[in-house]
Amino acid sequence: MAELRYRRLQTLNRLPRLMGNHYLAARYLRYVRPVAWITSGAPVEIIRAMGILPVYPENYGALCGSRQAAGTLCQVAEARGYSRELCSYAKCNLGSLAEPRQAPLGGLPRPTVLVACNNICGTVTKWYQALARDLRVPLFLWDTPFSPGELTDGGVAYAAAQLREMVRFLERHTGHKLHQDRLNRVMDKSREASRLWSEIRLLGRHRPSPLNASDLFIAMAPIVVLRGTDQAIDFYRELKAELAGRVAKGEGALPVERYRLVWDNIAIWHKLLRFYGQFLDHRACFVADTYTGGWGTVMEGDDPLTALARTYTGVFLNRGLAYRASQMVELVRDFGAHGFVMHANRSCKPYTLFQYDIRRMVTEQTGVPGLVIEADMADPRSYAEEAVKTRIQAFMETLDG
Amino acid sequence: MFFAGVDIGSTAVKVVMLDQQGKVVGCETTRTGYRGAENAWHLLKGLLAAQTGVTPEVWGRQGGDPAKLPVRVVATGYGRHKLAQAHRQVSEITCHARGAYHLEPGTATVIDIGGQDSKVIRVAQGGTVLDFAMNDKCAAGTGRFLEVVAGALEENVDSLGRLAVASNQPVAISSTCTVFAESEVVSHIAAGSSKENIAAGLCLAVAERVAGMAGRIGVQPRVVMTGGVAHNRGVVRALATMLGLPVEVLPDPHLVGALGAALLARDAFANNQPKT
Ligand code: SF4
Repeated sequence: MAELRYRRLQTLNRLPRLMGNHYLAARYLRYVRPVAWITSGAPVEIIRAMGILPVYPENYGALCGSRQAAGTLCQVAEARGYSRELCSYAKCNLGSLAEPRQAPLGGLPRPTVLVACNNICGTVTKWYQALARDLRVPLFLWDTPFSPGELTDGGVAYAAAQLREMVRFLERHTGHKLHQDRLNRVMDKSREASRLWSEIRLLGRHRPSPLNASDLFIAMAPIVVLRGTDQAIDFYRELKAELAGRVAKGEGALPVERYRLVWDNIAIWHKLLRFYGQFLDHRACFVADTYTGGWGTVMEGDDPLTALARTYTGVFLNRGLAYRASQMVELVRDFGAHGFVMHANRSCKPYTLFQYDIRRMVTEQTGVPGLVIEADMADPRSYAEEAVKTRIQAFMETLDG
Repeated sequence: MFFAGVDIGSTAVKVVMLDQQGKVVGCETTRTGYRGAENAWHLLKGLLAAQTGVTPEVWGRQGGDPAKLPVRVVATGYGRHKLAQAHRQVSEITCHARGAYHLEPGTATVIDIGGQDSKVIRVAQGGTVLDFAMNDKCAAGTGRFLEVVAGALEENVDSLGRLAVASNQPVAISSTCTVFAESEVVSHIAAGSSKENIAAGLCLAVAERVAGMAGRIGVQPRVVMTGGVAHNRGVVRALATMLGLPVEVLPDPHLVGALGAALLARDAFANNQPKT
C-alpha cells in the first residue's frame, strides 16, 4: 500500500510548551500556592477562582500511557496489592507515588487537598480515598446523582448544595477565599473555551474532514487541564483558525478521505499513531468521537453554582443507555459516517459497559456497521496487535462491500 | 492463469488452487510450524508443478516473484502478511464468508472456529460480510482451547468430539481460561468422571462461548460451520442445541478459508480484465 502522509496541524506544535509550563508551574508554584488534585469531571472553575492550582492525575495517566510508562507503573501498583482490573489511570498515579523514579516528570507535585467527583465513575471515589489515606490529605467527594433520563431539578439542587459545602471545605483547608466576581470571570473563560472546543469538533462535518479524532485527542489537553484560563482560549482560537483555513481550501486531515468513522471511548494513548495509522492505510478518517465531546458543553444559567452543578451532573458518563445510544446515532447522522469503532476499554467500566447494546441500537437506527476493539487506554498489556489488526482489516473489508 | 488461496493459520497452512473456470484443481495442507510462509510457498510450488509440468525447482529459482507466476495469490490467516508470493491480503472473515457462500449459496451465518480465533459471520447475498463478531479477551472458545484440554485426556480435537457424542451426562467446565480448564479436567478425571462426559463438557464450554458471541450479531439460518473444529461432532451438536438451529458442516471445513481466498483472487482478476 502506498505510503500516505498524515497532515499534521501546526497549532499542535505549541502543545508541548503549553502543557510543559502547566506541569512546571505546578511543581514550583506549589511552594506559594495550594495544589488540588482533581478528577476530570470536577468543577475546576471554583478551584481556579480560589487561586488553587489544579492538577489532574487522569491527564497524568494519559501522559504515562503515551510515554510508554504505564505498563511499568501499573505493575508497581499491582505489586502493592491493587487489582489488575483497576483503572490504569489510577494505577499510574498510585504507582508513580510508590516509585517516583520510574514515573514521567518524577510524578505529580504533592497536593494540599483532593477533590473527586463521581460523575465519571465510582473508581475515583475509592482511588481518591486511597490517596487521602496514603498522603494524609483532606478529600472532598462531590456526589452527582446518576441520571438515567433527564436531569431533575432536585438532583441539580442536591449537587449545587454540596458545592457550597465544597467551597467551605476549600476555604478551611487552604485559607483562600472564593470571590464571586473572580468565579464569574473564570466561568466566562471556561464557557469561551468550551464553545471554541465544540465549534472545532463540529468542523469534522466538512467533507473532507479537516481533522481526525487523533488530532482531537492530542488537542484536548488544554480543555481538560487549562479550562478557565486565557491560554486555553488562545490555543483553541488558533486551532480553529487553522482548521477553518483547511476547510476553505477544501483540504482534509487525510490526503484521501474514503471512509468517515465515529470513535467511541477513550483514546488508546500508548498506540496513538500506530493504531490510528492503520485506519489511514484504509483512507478512513475519524470525523467525530464521543470522548472529546465530554468537554464541549457550554455552561448555562445565571447562578454560577447551579450552572456548574447542572453541567457536571449532566456529563455523558453519568447518563443512561438511551442517552449514550442517541448521542452516537446523532454523531453518525450529523457527520455522515459510514461506520463506527468502539474501544472496549478494559480500564473504564462505565464507558465500556453498554457498548454491545449501543452498537446494536446504533446499527439498527442508522444502518451503519460498528466494530468493537479490545484494548486499554494506557496499559499496553491488554493489547493484542495481530488480533486488533485482523479485526480492523475485516471491518474495512465489510465497508468495501 | 490459476488462482490460489493460501490460508496461513496459527495451526495449519491450507492452499487451494482453482483454474480459470473456477474448478478446484488441487489443495494441500501442512502444519504452520515456525516457517509458515515458507511451508505455504512449498505447497504452492508443488501444486503449480502438478498443473504446469514445470518442476518446483524452477519456480523456486525464480524466487517466487509474484509478477512472474502464472497464478494470482490471495493470502489470508494470521500469516497473511508474511507470504512474499501473495498479490493481496484479505482477512479470514471475508474469505470464510466467500468460501462458505460458494459451497452453500443459502448461507446466512458462518461459524468458524479456528486455532486462535472463533468468529460468527453474517453473510449477505453474494457472499459478502454484513457483520461479524470475534472472540474477545483470550483464546477461550477456540481450537487451541480444545487442543490443550484434549491433550489432558490423551485425545485430539476430532476424537474428543466422537467421545462427546457418546456422553449421557456432560460434566460442568466453568473456567473459560484454557489453563484453568485443563486443571478442571484433571480434577474431573480424579473424581472418576468418564472420558465421554468430560469430553462433552469441554465441547459444551466451547459452544457456549461461541453461542454467546453469536447472540451479539444475531443468527440467521442457514448456519454453516467452517474451520478445523467443525470436524469435532461434539461441538457442532452442542452449538446446534444452543442456537436452536441446525448447524451444517461444509465438506472439508478446514479448507473453506483458503477456498474463499482463491475465489477472491479469481474475482479480482476477472474484474481487471478488459470487458469484451
Ligand atoms: S474508570 Fe474510566 S472514568 Fe473512571 S477514572 Fe478510570 S478512565 Fe476515568
